[in-house]
Amino acid sequence: MIPTVFGVIVITFILFNVVGGSPAMMTLGKNVSQKSLEEFDEQRGFNKPLFFGNWTKTRAFADDSFARNASLWRDNPFVGWEAGQNSRMNHVVLAPTNDFLLPLAFSLKPKTKYRWIISYDLAESLAFCRMDNPGGAGGYVRVHNAWPLKSGPAWQKTEIEFSTGDNPAGLEFMLRTGNAPLKISSIKFRRATSHFLDSQFVFYLGQIAKFDFGRSNYFNQRVSQMLKDGIGPSLALTVPIFVIGLLLAIIISLICAYFRDTWLDRAFVIIAVVLMSVNYLVWIIAGQYFLAYRLGWFPIWGFESWRYLSLPVFIGVVSGLGDNLRFYRTIMLDEMYRDYVRTAFAKGVSRSGVLFRHVLKNAMIPILTNVIIAIPFLYTGSILLESFFGIPGLGNMGINAINYSDVDVVRAIVLIGALLYVAANLLTDICYALVDPRVRLG
Amino acid sequence: MSFMKAEGTKAEGAKLESCHSRGLSAIAPGATAESGNPETETASNHSLWSDAWRQVRRNRLAVASLWIIGLYFVLALYGEGTYWYYQWRDTTPFYQQTNLEEEYLPPSIFRAPFAGLKNEAGKTQCPCPLLRAAKNLVKHPLGTDNLGRDVFQRTVQGARIAFQVGIITSCIAIPIGVILGCLAGYFGGRTDDFVVWLYSTFASIPGLLFILAVAMVAGKGLLGVYLGIGLTTWVGLCRLIRGEVMKHKTRAYVLAARTLGFGPARIMFRHILPNIFHIVIISFSLRFPAAISTEVFMSFLGIGVQGEPSWGIMISNARLRLWQGVWWEMTFVTLAIFLIVLAFNLFGDALRDALDPRLRTSEK
Repeated sequence: MIPTVFGVIVITFILFNVVGGSPAMMTLGKNVSQKSLEEFDEQRGFNKPLFFGNWTKTRAFADDSFARNASLWRDNPFVGWEAGQNSRMNHVVLAPTNDFLLPLAFSLKPKTKYRWIISYDLAESLAFCRMDNPGGAGGYVRVHNAWPLKSGPAWQKTEIEFSTGDNPAGLEFMLRTGNAPLKISSIKFRRATSHFLDSQFVFYLGQIAKFDFGRSNYFNQRVSQMLKDGIGPSLALTVPIFVIGLLLAIIISLICAYFRDTWLDRAFVIIAVVLMSVNYLVWIIAGQYFLAYRLGWFPIWGFESWRYLSLPVFIGVVSGLGDNLRFYRTIMLDEMYRDYVRTAFAKGVSRSGVLFRHVLKNAMIPILTNVIIAIPFLYTGSILLESFFGIPGLGNMGINAINYSDVDVVRAIVLIGALLYVAANLLTDICYALVDPRVRLG
Repeated sequence: MSFMKAEGTKAEGAKLESCHSRGLSAIAPGATAESGNPETETASNHSLWSDAWRQVRRNRLAVASLWIIGLYFVLALYGEGTYWYYQWRDTTPFYQQTNLEEEYLPPSIFRAPFAGLKNEAGKTQCPCPLLRAAKNLVKHPLGTDNLGRDVFQRTVQGARIAFQVGIITSCIAIPIGVILGCLAGYFGGRTDDFVVWLYSTFASIPGLLFILAVAMVAGKGLLGVYLGIGLTTWVGLCRLIRGEVMKHKTRAYVLAARTLGFGPARIMFRHILPNIFHIVIISFSLRFPAAISTEVFMSFLGIGVQGEPSWGIMISNARLRLWQGVWWEMTFVTLAIFLIVLAFNLFGDALRDALDPRLRTSEK
């Protein structure tokens, strides 16, 4: 059970953090400032390394490898661009004795370590990377620090590490070239994490441990609050569907078993296949159109009293009936061919006696499994029914979240559903032990 | 979607499992590819496949289903052809072109048979009234939608998308299930632990939400549909294959192959897999309608197909027109979906009965 829980956590993590690209971009769109993206990430722990690491990317400066052009210095007349031996060696050439700004998208965090990683080629003399703070009183430029880029063998890499002070607002970084042109093939900017395990994964685990599922960006609400609000309507819809559907399916499957190999049984089998083949959407649209709109037997849309639930429940029961009926009929018929049934018949037990006293009791085990395993799926509600009939449940919420790329909400719903399923699995094992004396726990 | 239907494959996996719980020991040796000594095979010694084929052919419903599936397949191929033709011509396909003069045309049999369609400039009406009526019948046989687009052609395009989704998702899910199942069943131990862990993890995530989440991460469009359905529905098959491989691992023919010094890959995929391949076939025929329904559902919700006519999109459009009394688009699309899903369900059942001798005896 614990490995599965861990697996679920890992898979949701992989899905949304590793493969998912930038959740901030997905949620906020592309035309937002780097600063708000960074704030979004900061709030959700997305600005950390994935699993572990001492350094992480920051949106303050986008890594640049000058593969196609001089990118950030494109408009600067003192910067040229040259193709290298291969595309990875493409580089910019900074003219001698000039300053070149390394623009930051937003001011850095105070008291944090950062570093520049610059791959360069300098034939002679020195160049400098300088940190200035021009925002001081009087507007004078105060050089905080300057790090030399030494000439040497072709293409070397230097890492310039520094720590921001108390007031990093307005910090500026320059590259100052000496008497020789400076060639640069890539510039990277990294922020230090507070410790080695300060990662997205650990952050995520911590969130789960605290039952904190983050914040919905679209609805601007805590996800846990949204879940609390949505679960009531969802259960009000799915529990009746489940119970009525189950009872109906079991009753009909018992009838099938009673009249097995007669026209009645065969008719039910055909009906079940036909019911199964009608698309769920069709049930809903037809039900809403004919029963609610044309005949006016039910309210069309809304969630105010139990009358509003009756049509969705009815549709849910009918649409699930085909599947359920076939499943339970198979179970009943499986039992009907057992030896003990033959013995019971041989002893002279009546048909209904065998059916209710022997078969139903023994069929309880597969029925129970199916019932308990279905319970976690009640919680997610029914996406289509809820959105068609305007029931403010979790299914509705989930589909909205997917449409608005609200990562936190989707992740929370998926995760909780999976955890409930794992719990239900455990419950099934326990129930086995209770129902079937042959099975023992441990 | 409701919890029972949540994925389709869950219940279907359970169904398959219950059918195979006692194994197929009776037929396995007859189907062993490696035991194929051609001299001993007499005319009365039928292989599993020819036997199953005969069984299916005897079932009239299954044959009818097969014809329907074949018809849809041909239509889907035709749809693919027109699609690529217009791609190559680099023009908007006619089933996408707006023609407001012919909007909301009812199906041809509900139109006045002798009324001339709107006459194109410079063309004289056909003088023979019967010919005109025939022309009328052929033009827009299933009517047009709100933009004057032909419902029949769009339904055909929907069939094309549905078949694409069914085939491509199977091409993703079935290899994953088969390979992982074979590895787990054959090697056991750590490998088995890992695979069981993997599939129980996948199984515990609510199916439809999982599909939708994968599709969301992969981006809207057909790729999201393929990946969403393909990457999440291999669990049932993997579980079945694993169980069967475990059973077959101790069979004499596998021991013999091992004694001959064959490697594990060869034994798994050349010796064991042909013997359990019927599971793959059954699973394919049962997952196809589920995949089609899921695609319809996703396209309906707007995270599936973009900018092409798919059944889900047509339903979503037709739903709004339904309130205005435009019933034909909705009717024909739902009928199209219903027929193909029903055909696959019936055929899948017949196939399972034919390939599973235990059920065959119980049906009698």
